[in-house]
Amino acid sequence: MFDPDCLAHGLNRRRHLQTVLLVTVFCATAAPAACAQIDLQKLPPAAQRPVDYKADIQPLFAKHCVRCHGPQKQKGDLRLDTRTGTLKGGLRGPSVIPEKVQTSPLLIAISQLDAELAMPPDDEPLSDDEVGLVRAWIEQGARGPDDSAAAGPKIPWSFHPIVRPAVPANQVAGTLPVDAFIAAKRQPLQVPPSPAADRRTLIRRLFLIMHGLPPTPEQVDEFVNDTAPDAYERLVDRVLASPRYGERWARHWLDVVRFAESNGFETNRVRQGAWPYRDYVIEAFNTDKPYDAFVREQIAGDALGADAATGFLVAGAYDLVKSPDITLTLMQRQDELADIINTTGTAFLGLTLGCARCHEHKFDPVPQQDYYALQAIFAGVNFAPRPFRPRRTASEDQLLASARRDLEQDSAALETLREKSRRTSGGGRALLPKVNEKLNTETFAPIATTAVRMTILATSNGSEPCLDEVEIFDRDGQNVALASAGTRPSASGTLPGYEIHKLAHLNDGRTGNDHSWISSQAGRGWVQLDFPEPRTISRIVWSRDRASRFRDRVATTYRFEARIDSERWQTIAASEDREPFGPDDPEAFLKNLSADDAARARELQTRLASQQARVNELSSGLNAWLGTFSQPEPIHRLHRGDPLQKREVIPPNGLSLRLGPGFPGQLGLSGESPEQERRRKLADWLASPDNPLTPRVMVNRIWHYVFGTGLVETPSDFGGNGALPSHPELLDWLARELIDHGWSLKHIQRQLLLSQTFRQSSAPQAEGLSADATSRYLWRFPPRRLEAEAIRDCILAASGALDLRMGGPGFFLQIVEVDNVYRYFPKEQFGPDEFRRMVYLNRIRQEQDSVFGSFDCPSGNQVTPRRSRSNTPLQALNLFNSPFVLQQAERLATRLEHDAGTTPAAQIRRAFLLLNSREPDTFEIQAATELIQQYGLAAFCRALFNSSEFLFVF
Amino acid sequence: MHPFLDRRQFLGSSSLALSQIALAHLLGRDGSLAAADADAAPLRPHIDPANPNASRQPHFPPAAKQVLMIFCAGACSHLDTFDYKPELIAQHGKPMPGGDKLVTFQGAQGALTKSPWTFRPRGTCGKMISDLVPRLGDLADDLCFIHSLTGKTNTHGPGENFMNTGNTLDGFPSVGAWTTYALGSENDTLPAYVAIPDPRGAPQTSGNCWNAGFLPAAFQGTDFNATHPVRNLARPNAIPPAADVATRNFISRLNAHHLQRFPGDSELAARISSYELAARMQLSVPAVSDISGEPAHILKLYGADATGNAIQNTKAGYARNCILARRLIEQGVRFVQLFNGAYQVGGEGVSNWDGHKVLQDQYTVHGEIFDQPTAALLIDLKQRGLLRETLVVWCTEFGRMPTFQAGASGRDHNPAGFTGWLAGAGVKAPFSYGATDDFGYKAVENVATVYDFHATILRILGLDHERLSFYHNGLERRLTDVHGHVIHDVLA
Repeated sequence: MFDPDCLAHGLNRRRHLQTVLLVTVFCATAAPAACAQIDLQKLPPAAQRPVDYKADIQPLFAKHCVRCHGPQKQKGDLRLDTRTGTLKGGLRGPSVIPEKVQTSPLLIAISQLDAELAMPPDDEPLSDDEVGLVRAWIEQGARGPDDSAAAGPKIPWSFHPIVRPAVPANQVAGTLPVDAFIAAKRQPLQVPPSPAADRRTLIRRLFLIMHGLPPTPEQVDEFVNDTAPDAYERLVDRVLASPRYGERWARHWLDVVRFAESNGFETNRVRQGAWPYRDYVIEAFNTDKPYDAFVREQIAGDALGADAATGFLVAGAYDLVKSPDITLTLMQRQDELADIINTTGTAFLGLTLGCARCHEHKFDPVPQQDYYALQAIFAGVNFAPRPFRPRRTASEDQLLASARRDLEQDSAALETLREKSRRTSGGGRALLPKVNEKLNTETFAPIATTAVRMTILATSNGSEPCLDEVEIFDRDGQNVALASAGTRPSASGTLPGYEIHKLAHLNDGRTGNDHSWISSQAGRGWVQLDFPEPRTISRIVWSRDRASRFRDRVATTYRFEARIDSERWQTIAASEDREPFGPDDPEAFLKNLSADDAARARELQTRLASQQARVNELSSGLNAWLGTFSQPEPIHRLHRGDPLQKREVIPPNGLSLRLGPGFPGQLGLSGESPEQERRRKLADWLASPDNPLTPRVMVNRIWHYVFGTGLVETPSDFGGNGALPSHPELLDWLARELIDHGWSLKHIQRQLLLSQTFRQSSAPQAEGLSADATSRYLWRFPPRRLEAEAIRDCILAASGALDLRMGGPGFFLQIVEVDNVYRYFPKEQFGPDEFRRMVYLNRIRQEQDSVFGSFDCPSGNQVTPRRSRSNTPLQALNLFNSPFVLQQAERLATRLEHDAGTTPAAQIRRAFLLLNSREPDTFEIQAATELIQQYGLAAFCRALFNSSEFLFVF
Repeated sequence: MHPFLDRRQFLGSSSLALSQIALAHLLGRDGSLAAADADAAPLRPHIDPANPNASRQPHFPPAAKQVLMIFCAGACSHLDTFDYKPELIAQHGKPMPGGDKLVTFQGAQGALTKSPWTFRPRGTCGKMISDLVPRLGDLADDLCFIHSLTGKTNTHGPGENFMNTGNTLDGFPSVGAWTTYALGSENDTLPAYVAIPDPRGAPQTSGNCWNAGFLPAAFQGTDFNATHPVRNLARPNAIPPAADVATRNFISRLNAHHLQRFPGDSELAARISSYELAARMQLSVPAVSDISGEPAHILKLYGADATGNAIQNTKAGYARNCILARRLIEQGVRFVQLFNGAYQVGGEGVSNWDGHKVLQDQYTVHGEIFDQPTAALLIDLKQRGLLRETLVVWCTEFGRMPTFQAGASGRDHNPAGFTGWLAGAGVKAPFSYGATDDFGYKAVENVATVYDFHATILRILGLDHERLSFYHNGLERRLTDVHGHVIHDVLA
């Protein structure tokens, strides 16, 4: 309603403001010229009654102010949802001074006396009565409860210690504790559990969930016909013992830790050598590695004999584009560390620690300092590959042995040709290979002597000759030159001033540049070795640097002489017997060979290069994407997360909050603590049995992947913004079971899989649906669509194409165009490599697989604790028309003909057993027969791959 | 819990007994918010799993119902197109004050350098626009410029992510995904959200620009252009039409038969309906993509008849993409994202706007490809009355420096100030908002962020950027994170 008086009043008040000077406020923070001149007489009168903060003031602020100054937002760094926050104020200082109306900016703001400061800015102003209440509250001393504790986030339920809850008393004979907990929560719904699922449904469910593959018809038959009372228990044991289990569950973990095999961002290059981490995770599940060890190793595996595990730290995206712009570089580094901290927090603790990068965490008790304390723990982690030697399997050992054999045979063949060439160039005399820095052997007719002298007349680069060792062998193969055998060295002169280049190093048995002799003369010099008594010798071995690090100072013109008597020396070997020294030319020796021999030598050289690479690959490991570590600089808290706004130094530490009695978050580290120790301490803290979060989070993940929804439906968020557990006692009971059973994940899975809750039917019931449409309270087993990987693997399994090779580098579903910026184009043809399980797919960030990516398949850019389950037309098109599915439909058709002959009914029956683990009914046989008779078997196979039943677990 | 059901629906679908159990659970999470500020509570659209792209109501009456977002990959220079700086011309060849201390993406600065293209007054409003984009210049009266955009990064990948997804990191939902998540689509035979890559290739962060991130895959952009159809859309050649139809019918019968055992299962129903939509798309997408029926004068207007060399062929390809964009808007597709420029094909700045070293030569090519088709698209949308309900957005990852790089003839990256423009429904035109400094280096007047830009786009669609959210991993995620202010001054 328009009220002319109000308008007039407003105008008057404004005019008044400009002319009347009574009180000045805000001078403490603003320049005097800018100070508002406020007529306090225009303030609405104070309420004439005692004002209560809780009853009168807090609701009023909640209504008008808290949207911008509360838990969600703190404009001007000000919170008005608590009394403490109100008194504390924000950027402009205190907002309320008890008893001082004229210096309480908040009162001026809400009374609209100053247009600049008027609050709230966009909404209705407070009424005069409301302002009067606030005024009275301030005049009366702004009293109220000390709610400083309430200003911060509450301690979430998940931080409390885990106490083993009693199993509800209703446990029925033959059921597990899990069933009793579930029944207790289901009881108020008054919905009965569903009857047990039939055996075919049960075994298919068990395989799809635990392996991501269907059971074979033979496995189904065996189980269906197994009349022993423990048939199901033994089946579960077999399922958990299969390597298919680790492949399936590793994929879940890879979601949680954002694993992918390209670097992301603009260049998005393939990340070489990331696969050892995947293999590590698969093996960890398969061997039931205790979960606490699994946690520790991913944080500090380099200290725990589990190198591949640290792939966890650097599994995220990494921006390769570097710039001289320091701001960019600092921000990139901050992003990298944030990725590690956030993934560590969400994966193990279910805490979104990344939220505290710029400010105090809004939902969880994590102050900004804690974030930077954690940053100091990870600040020495670098996104880089490091040398890694994978453990070889027996079959890889065989491969290596045969590769070495090939290498040796071909080397010998080539050496024969080289010798032929040397013989030619030596005019029929076989020349020895030219000298090298690493090892030179001289052989000669046995000679008895008391001393040997080596005279050097030229070196490879003209500088003083160097020898790291001279060995002289007698006929028994004993090195008689050793000082330990009594032999004394002498020389023309020794380069002065170097401890590592002494004459004594010549025959000390130690090799390498650090234990060598260097002559005092450029390009020349001699050494002599005097035996304590005459020796009969036949071979000399000498070198400049056996480690091959140095190639200078090699003697190229030399002779060895043996002393015959006090006067005479006899030359026993010399550089003239060798090919002349010169630059390496692998082709040079070919010139002296016939055309046929040369061609043969060329072929051998080419083959040797690849054989050598193969042997290297098999024996010496690789540079794997596992991160490198260096001692970090001191870490500062960054104001608002801005790397240019450094604040105080923060030493490495855990969380400042105590998680239960006797379990502090402090780690006892300092700014001087070595890098690895920082991570080790954090790893121990994460994996401690006293840590209430780690076991709760993991048993919930298992529940999530078995039943489709976690007991906590936000699996990586157990904080104040996450969901509360639907069955808190069950969650804690499982968490205690995990700790008390040696952190065995298979033990927990057994508790779930053997339960009647898991074994019940998934068929809908009217009363269940009306009480609990989403089956959260598990009155049935909740059906759901399979994930991308399971669908692809199931198709391959059904068609018979599935290749179960485990481990090692993955395969690509894209053609990779290698340039500065990598590009990926979907493959249209598929062979055995692409028939491996999808966990071995080299997942490329930003570029999903063209068929299965659309099935809510995460790209590895962000952590994915829970996948969406969409059903989209693109999924339908991909399954219906893609070359991959059509190829597999053809393969399945061929298989059906092979397995079941030419009768459509038999083919249909076989197909249903392979895909759906059951017999078709008459309707299905009839409809399918029509299709096959008219359009062929492949059309039927294509259809089955698109059927709901095949794509869902029931 | 079903991924599409939010907690309120969950509560609504449950009996009283369950509600009591659930209530405590809900209060535990929502209690404080609900009590303190119900008006600011997150708004999560109600998604029907069987039809996730059903049309949904915005938060308040919208000015626009559809969006066409044109993105120039490689960072298109504001100083050579839309941001006229007389002082830069006056100071041409002199050092930029403080420029010697400045280290930008590729390093040191050379002298201030005016644009090689002349700026002239355009339209009746007289807006100064360069000769690089003369035909767009002719439309000055229809454009609403924001000259004071600022970014958070000076690297292409993060910059492209930021403008397209509101986050510099990989893996966050795109503007189009947020839009279709909020609003669904008006057309149930075409994808709700289409991304049209440049004929030269995908943009620099590729599928990131139209991905759904942590939103359900239903809100992912479908990428195709006038040359490359939707993958796996067409019936495979090897399969005769009759067999295809019979196979599809068989799947329907099989699924319906199976559904009898699971009556009322919404996920199974969604599966079935996804095949129905796929079948409709198989007809509608080729129809909308087929521009052979466009009259000659339209092809000529867009430059789709260009031919003669590689540049003209690319121009014709981009022009056909522009025609496709118009046809999609015409059909009611909610969000169309059109790309000009690709990733780094053939070297720096060759296939996109990344003019570091030889800006004049490269931009001459890019301007030729970009200007006429884009202008024609605006003209065509307008003459068909489509701008009344369509917001057109033009943007790029960041701007470029007023200096040339030391020892080179091109401009380095500059996120401190750059230009974007809006046109069509809901925006003031002709209008210019904000300004960079005298040289065009930094935004100094009405400084706006990419968050503000996104908040404004959502506002024009009738969406409150502070409330449109999706819970992911500990946070109610928003397109604008915890930032962003609607730029009210540009709203009509």
